[in-house]
Amino acid sequence: MAADTTQNAAAQVLPPPRTEVGVIGWMHANLFSSRLNSALTVVSSALLLVILWYGLRWIFWSADWTVVERVGGLFLIGSYNTELACPGQNCFWRPQVSLLLVTALLGMIWGIMGGGVAKRIAILAAVVAALFAFLPYSLDDMGWDVRFLLLANLPSTALGWAVARYTPLGQPRWAVAWGVAVFLITLVLQRGLPNVPGLQPVSVVYWGGLTLNLILAVGGISLSLPIGIALALGRRSNLPVVKLLCVVFIEVFRGVPLITLLFMSQTLVPLAFPENFPQNSLFRAAVVITLFSSAYMAENIRGGLQALHPGQAEAARALGLPGWQTTLLISLPQAIRNVIPAIVGQFIALFKDTSLVYIIGMVDIVEIGRVFISRPEYLASAREMFVFLAVVFWVFCYGMSYVSRHIERNLGVGER
Amino acid sequence: MLNPNTTLPRILTYQGIPVWRHAQIIQWAAQIASAILVVALVMWFFGNMAFAIDDREIPFGFSFLEREYQTPIGEHVLPYESSDSFLYALIVAATNTLVVAVAGVILATLLGIFIGVCRLSPNWIVSKLATAYIEFFRNVPLLVQLFFWFYIILELPTVREGYVLADLLYVNNAGISFPGPVSSGVTPAVVWLVLAVAAVFVGALAHHRLVRREDETGRPSYPLVIGCVTTVGIAAITWLVLSGIFGDAPFSVSTPAPQGRFGRIDGGVTIRAGMLVLLIGLVMYTASFIAEIVRAGIQSVGRGQTEAARALGLSPVNTLRQVTFPQALRVIIPPWISQCLNLTKNSSLGGVVGYTDLTNVAITMTQTAPAINIFLMLMATYLAMSLTWSLIGNLYNRHIRFTG
Repeated sequence: MAADTTQNAAAQVLPPPRTEVGVIGWMHANLFSSRLNSALTVVSSALLLVILWYGLRWIFWSADWTVVERVGGLFLIGSYNTELACPGQNCFWRPQVSLLLVTALLGMIWGIMGGGVAKRIAILAAVVAALFAFLPYSLDDMGWDVRFLLLANLPSTALGWAVARYTPLGQPRWAVAWGVAVFLITLVLQRGLPNVPGLQPVSVVYWGGLTLNLILAVGGISLSLPIGIALALGRRSNLPVVKLLCVVFIEVFRGVPLITLLFMSQTLVPLAFPENFPQNSLFRAAVVITLFSSAYMAENIRGGLQALHPGQAEAARALGLPGWQTTLLISLPQAIRNVIPAIVGQFIALFKDTSLVYIIGMVDIVEIGRVFISRPEYLASAREMFVFLAVVFWVFCYGMSYVSRHIERNLGVGER
Repeated sequence: MLNPNTTLPRILTYQGIPVWRHAQIIQWAAQIASAILVVALVMWFFGNMAFAIDDREIPFGFSFLEREYQTPIGEHVLPYESSDSFLYALIVAATNTLVVAVAGVILATLLGIFIGVCRLSPNWIVSKLATAYIEFFRNVPLLVQLFFWFYIILELPTVREGYVLADLLYVNNAGISFPGPVSSGVTPAVVWLVLAVAAVFVGALAHHRLVRREDETGRPSYPLVIGCVTTVGIAAITWLVLSGIFGDAPFSVSTPAPQGRFGRIDGGVTIRAGMLVLLIGLVMYTASFIAEIVRAGIQSVGRGQTEAARALGLSPVNTLRQVTFPQALRVIIPPWISQCLNLTKNSSLGGVVGYTDLTNVAITMTQTAPAINIFLMLMATYLAMSLTWSLIGNLYNRHIRFTG
């Protein structure tokens, strides 16, 4: 009896077979589970090795990255600080102050949301900004004030965090207000003010580089969501005239390539306004990009509204909520939550689309790269340049989708 | 009892909803107001434009369409000469866009399905490679990718020193040349193509009928074999008959070969560099989106479906082909259509890599013809293309919904 029990106990604690656990078990399950799978493993690892071998050899050995180093600060601001744009002055501090405000905003968001994604993004942004001060960029001729301003991104992030943490300003609505303020201050700083010493106006034709892409993207993102919501509601409304107008708007803007619209914004739109009407090319481009994006946004949000069970709205009406409260408090929040991936996908598309403004003669980050490699001495560096640009865009776009996945997980989409 | 002389409290005498709170009246007022606002805005725009046209003598009108374009178009599928009219040049350019759009959609769909299935593979390395592909290509602007491929192709050796594979495939910085069909005369070629398309329809019809017979009676009817044999048979017979009538085969195979001192490649089919770059860029970019759509579609099919199919004894391939994929299609088709539309619109970037697509030609035209009219035609053409895509998508959507 006793021997029997011990034998049973021993049988129960027998270790699992070696082929089921640890590295071997993992490989067995994921790489060599069948003959086909093993063949796939061999072929794909050969492919991977070839890619890695040639890729790494190119990156570290044969590629010549001097062109990227040479362009340096121009990637960020374009020809903003040239003699043409800003005669007799050093205007580099203006985008830099904007950068300080942005890192403060990121610090503030970190302070409000606590650790996690916000913390990582804030620290990464501050460190990268501060590291620019030490790189052998073409900032050399701009002196130490530039470097100090870049280094100041570290304390500014900390300041934002501390303000959010230890003062009553640590609330989401203050962060939103600060975000809007940063965007407006950036616009004013970049544009300059007449008759203010040190803030002489800089024409928008000289705005450029990543700053231009970001201004267009942030403006477009923050405006295309509300416009898209309005269009989606209009398209679903039972008022025939409103519905018709929204459908026509959405289909026209979705059916035509963005570069056609951008071209028209520069050639035809000026004709549609009186000659002395105040307008500039950047503003028109921003409006076109925003409208184009909001047509797509409208369709995404309409998808979310359609997927919503009609019982939600009916219950809200039964509880006595008026129509606009049903929409704003019941339908829209759920609809938007359901289509967060599509909305963020549209944000990413918008950011990528900002690279198209070169078509209308604006010097965004891609165009700066292209101008440089068309110089004789850098003709052979095209690959390096475009790989670098691809990485820059990739970091921003992947960052956005990373944040969206976190938001989705926090909201528990697909789990309820 | 109420004294008839005292007025009733207001609350007891219902006098209807006041005008300013009457839902229907408010709605109609809002509609009329918005319509007036939009019409006024549009009128204002057009008024300003008309004034500008008059005042600054901006050219306007469609008469330019008859004029000779007198500008070369770098790459063209249809025959084109500089003495052709603006209208014909626009048609040539639109054909260029269509060719790239159709070829791009086919290739991107194939690559996208392949990568989407790879992403779901139980093999860890394969699935991670597919994920890396998707995450890289969809997070980089198409423009940057196009420039990258443009310079890669540009750095290939010249025509004289290009790569040659078995005297059949020529790769160089002017494009890719490979053997392909050339027609000896227009009439036999067109007649045979029409008959070949008819043969495909007959074959498809036979396939459809036989599948139904197999479903209804359970007798093996070999729909795929018989359908293919029918198609190939009809095509072959018409080929032979046409060869007999015209004394020459409708098509013959032409192999590319370098000609003359500069080694220019003649014969065969050549995909020139501009189109090649645009196709590579569009296909690689769009495939990453289609792959995600395919993955989401396959994952949307319940696990029980696969398990049931396997339990009934279907092989993994047949499970995917007959059970999972047909159900996934319902989720896949709508976003796939919107990707086709995006690809068509993105082909407007052809100009940056030297491909003369519709947008590129139209923008060149604005230098010698009224820009307003050209942009109107451009918008109308793209809208027509996108509406065609939507129509195909909606028809297909209805088809699978009814039969499913």
